[in-house]
Formats: sequence, C-alpha cells, structure tokens
Amino acid sequence: MFKINISSIIFSLKNLKKTLFSNLFNTIISLLIILFISKACFNTFEWLIFKADWKVVTTNLPLYAFGSFPPNEQWRPATWIISLLLLSILTLCGPEWKWLRKNLLKVWVGTIPIGLYLLYGGIGLSPIMSRHLGGLTLTILLTICSSFLSLPFGIVLALCRQSSLPFVEKLSSIYIDVMRSIPLIAVLFFGQLLIPLFLPVGIEIDRVWRAIFAFSLFVSAYIAEDIRGGLQSIPNTQIEAANSLGLNQYQIIQFILIPQAIRIALPALTNQSIGLFQNTSLMAILGLVELLGIGRSILANPEFIGQYIEVYVWLASVYWMVCTIMAVLARNLEQKMTINQANF
Amino acid sequence: MEPIVIAKNLTKSYTKGLRALDNVSLTVNQGKVLVVMGPSGSGKSTLIRTFNGLETFDRGELSILGIKVNSTPDERKIQKIRRRVGMVFQQFNLFPHLSILENITLAPVHVQKRRQIEAEEYGMFLLSQMGIDSHAKKYPSQLSGGEQQRVAIARALALKPELLLFDEPTSALDPERINEVLDAMRRLAEQGMTMVVVTHEIGFAKDVSDQVLFMDSGKVIETSPPSIFFSNARHERSRKFLNQLDNH
Repeated sequence: MFKINISSIIFSLKNLKKTLFSNLFNTIISLLIILFISKACFNTFEWLIFKADWKVVTTNLPLYAFGSFPPNEQWRPATWIISLLLLSILTLCGPEWKWLRKNLLKVWVGTIPIGLYLLYGGIGLSPIMSRHLGGLTLTILLTICSSFLSLPFGIVLALCRQSSLPFVEKLSSIYIDVMRSIPLIAVLFFGQLLIPLFLPVGIEIDRVWRAIFAFSLFVSAYIAEDIRGGLQSIPNTQIEAANSLGLNQYQIIQFILIPQAIRIALPALTNQSIGLFQNTSLMAILGLVELLGIGRSILANPEFIGQYIEVYVWLASVYWMVCTIMAVLARNLEQKMTINQANF
Repeated sequence: MEPIVIAKNLTKSYTKGLRALDNVSLTVNQGKVLVVMGPSGSGKSTLIRTFNGLETFDRGELSILGIKVNSTPDERKIQKIRRRVGMVFQQFNLFPHLSILENITLAPVHVQKRRQIEAEEYGMFLLSQMGIDSHAKKYPSQLSGGEQQRVAIARALALKPELLLFDEPTSALDPERINEVLDAMRRLAEQGMTMVVVTHEIGFAKDVSDQVLFMDSGKVIETSPPSIFFSNARHERSRKFLNQLDNH
C-alpha cells in the first residue's frame, strides 16, 4: 500500500530544510525542539529497557489474564480468549470463501454462549463462581455481554422513540434523556448497591451480572440515539416501496428499517463499544478485579510496591492493543457492509 | 369486461385549500392501459397513489379489484389491495441493503408466505424476462438506472399482481436508458397486464395505451383514445400541453 519513493523523500528533505531552517531564528527554535524531542525519546527508551523492572508484569501474567481463576482450570478462559483472537485474525485475513463469510457473524455471536459455558462451567466442567473471574477475561466478558445486551435494547428504545403512541414515545424519551444526563459511575453504583435492595428476597444477581446490566442500561440509551440517527436518515420512499409490496409494519421494521439503520449507525456503534471496553475499568473502583482492578491489587502486594509506572504502562498497552483490534474489526465490517451500497 | 379500477368524484385537498384531486372519475377495464398525462403538480402522482393506499382522499368512491376503499382507510382492506397491485416508482426505490434477487423475493416470501426456493425460481424467471438475470447476485447500487428500474418492475411482478401502477418510471433515467424500460412495459401490455402509467413519453402512450387521461390542477381535462388525443385533442388546455412537449 505504501510505496516508498526515493525522490519524494529527497524532495521532502529539501522542503524540511526550507521550512525548518530558513533563517537563524527558525534554526535555533528547530534545534531546541529537536533536542527536546530526542531527549524525551531517549529517556523513555532508557527507562523502558534498562530502568524499568518488568518482573511485576512477567511474573504475574496469569493474574492479568485470568485473575483468581483456579490455576488448573485456567485453560478454559485461555481457550476462549485465544479463540476470539483467532476468529479476529480469520475475519481480517481469512480466505474469501462464501460459506465462511456468510456464517462468520453467527460464529461471533456463538462465542458468547461458549465463553459463558467455559467461564462458569456446568455440564462436564466444574462450576466456577463469579468472584473468581478477573483480569482481562472479566474485562472482555463485561464488554461483550454488555454490548450484546444493549444493542437490542437500544434498538427497541430507538423504535419506541419514533412511535406514534405518545405514551410509549414519551417514556422512551424520558429514559434516554435521564440515562444520558447521569454519569456512568453513578449508574454503576446504582447497579452494585441499590439493585440488591430492590430485588425481592431470595433473588440474587451476582456482582458481575449487576455490572453487566448497569452497563447495558447506560449504553443502550446512547445506542438508541445512534440508531435513531440511522432510522431518520432512511428516506421515506423506502417505506413507501415496502408498503406498496404489502409488507406490514413489523416486517418493514425488521427487513427494511433496522438493517439499514444499523449499517448507517455502525461507525457510531463502534465508538460505543470501544468506549464501553475502556469504561469497564470503572468497575475497579467498585471492587471488581477486572484488568485495572488486578493491576491495583498487584500494586498492593508488598513485593511490588511502588512500581506504579511499570504496571500502568503495561495496562495501557493491553487496553491499546484490544481497542486497536476492535477498531480494525469494526472498520473491516464497515467496508464489507457499505461495499454493497456505494451510492446509498 | 371486468372493471379493475373505478373512481368516482375523488377529491383531495391539502390545507390552504389547494386541491390535489378535484372530482376525478375514471374506469380502467381488465387488460387495458391507461396513460395519465399532465403538467407537474397536476395531481397525477397523487391520483395513482390513492389506488394502492399510499395517499388518502377526502371525498369520493374508489373501488380497486372489487375492493371498496373509503376516505377513512381500513388497514386490512388496503393490505389486501397491495398484495394484488404492483407499483413502480420514479426513483426505483430498491432496497439498497438487499441483493437484486433478495429485493424480488422479499415480498413473495414474507407477504405471500411462499417457499424461498419457489420464490427464487420465479424471481429468476422474471429477471430473465427483463434481461437482467446475470445481475441477480449484485446490489442495486452496482446497476445502471435502467437496470434498476427493470429490477423494480420485476419486484412489482413477483407478487403476480392484477394491476400495475407506474409513477413516471422513466423520468429519472438517462435518455439512452429509457427505451429498455419502455420495451419491458410494452411486453407487459402485450401480455394483457392492466396498467395505469403516469408518463410524458408520447411514443409509448401512442403505441401502447388504450386511453389517455389528461389532468391539470387536480381536474380531469379530458379522457380520449390516443389516436384522438395526440392528433386532435378536444380541449384547448391539452393541445397547449402537447405543443410544449413537442417543442421540448
């Protein structure tokens, strides 16, 4: 894609000379800035390679990945994460076989029940409690389950907001506006502390699922607005065409409106899911040991005390990596979906 | 001969007293082609859109395929009519997220509950009749305007309609592409399809239509056979309109 052209490099070097070193004043400023940048780079690399003590990362790798999952069962989350990674690679650079491309979305959805089975156990696998989930596994679980739950809820909210029934329309408008005016952390607190109070005696939802529900309630309000934007940009002639074919209201929503609205809203939905992934780190404050939480608990260990920078640099790079994978996957999906409607 | 469309004194006015339809009466018999002409804003589109319930009217009587429609629309009756009446739009209005074949099979499968395979076979048959079966797997945006409009005709035919409505089917096309769509419509007329066509294509109207209905500001000015309308229109207003079309 990027062909390196020797002559253009020489040209840009000449250009550089013209712009950065045209007179004495510019030359001094340029030199100072170059000196500063190279010093900063040198210090960073010196720290990364020589000064930093990466033992806090390397000895705790299983903790970052799986939290306090029982060691002899850690193959289960490992299988899940690796299969997600392989599936990403397959989606991005796999062969263009028709049957594969057709079923890829189903396989992606299928990773959710498989992941839940692997993590929680059940038939054939020893059951694991939610409190043993942690690290990257828990972060991914929170992200995937919350986005999966909030998408249909968001679509329903968006449709309700467009409803001709004033009661339904008002109700969903109020819900969306309220959710958008409350900070996420407050919703999460509500999920952790208040939901147990409201539930009838005997019914208990564990903390991980309370978090997932709280995230879903919050994110679906934003997703609803993204989908509503998509719905509004579908020309009315589409509905007329569907009407003239005798499709009823529900069939129009199912076959014409929602597929098109999701395609239009896809870039915004990507944003939501990447934001959601990063926001799961708020759960560290509320006592879940997801990726950030496990970092904090490792720092509390006297053996690794004070090694904040190593741990946070490492965590940042893990978050960065996962977010990049998500962004690339989403871009791939966008290209696949818009290729069919170039002049839409 | 069975009348397919009977309209009596259809009247529709918008707020501000603007009349889109003003006492419009007409009859279309089975197997006949009615061409509706008139300057823009004369109510041609509004008229044919009342035939499948896309527009309502305030007063008058309308009977489509023996089903009576009132000024207060009955959703069930309108659905019944729509299953038996096909419509082709000026801007094609294909579904951009579905392939050509999926565009055609959507209604047969979900409205008429036909089997997917059966609907696809019939869809391919219609596409080959329209001369575009090689595009079945493509998406609307990959086709030219003329091809898209022929897909739209095939989509309307997929429900095996007893009446076809065309709302300026060639107005959005390049001049070179108009004939491929008109030819497809000619063949349909030869096969005995009942059609109501809003168009400015004089050649098509002369060759194919049984009646020409001329409208201006919501009123029917005249209804004549094409031989009379184009050579010796009865009404001064019609002659003026035809002159302007000729000079164009």
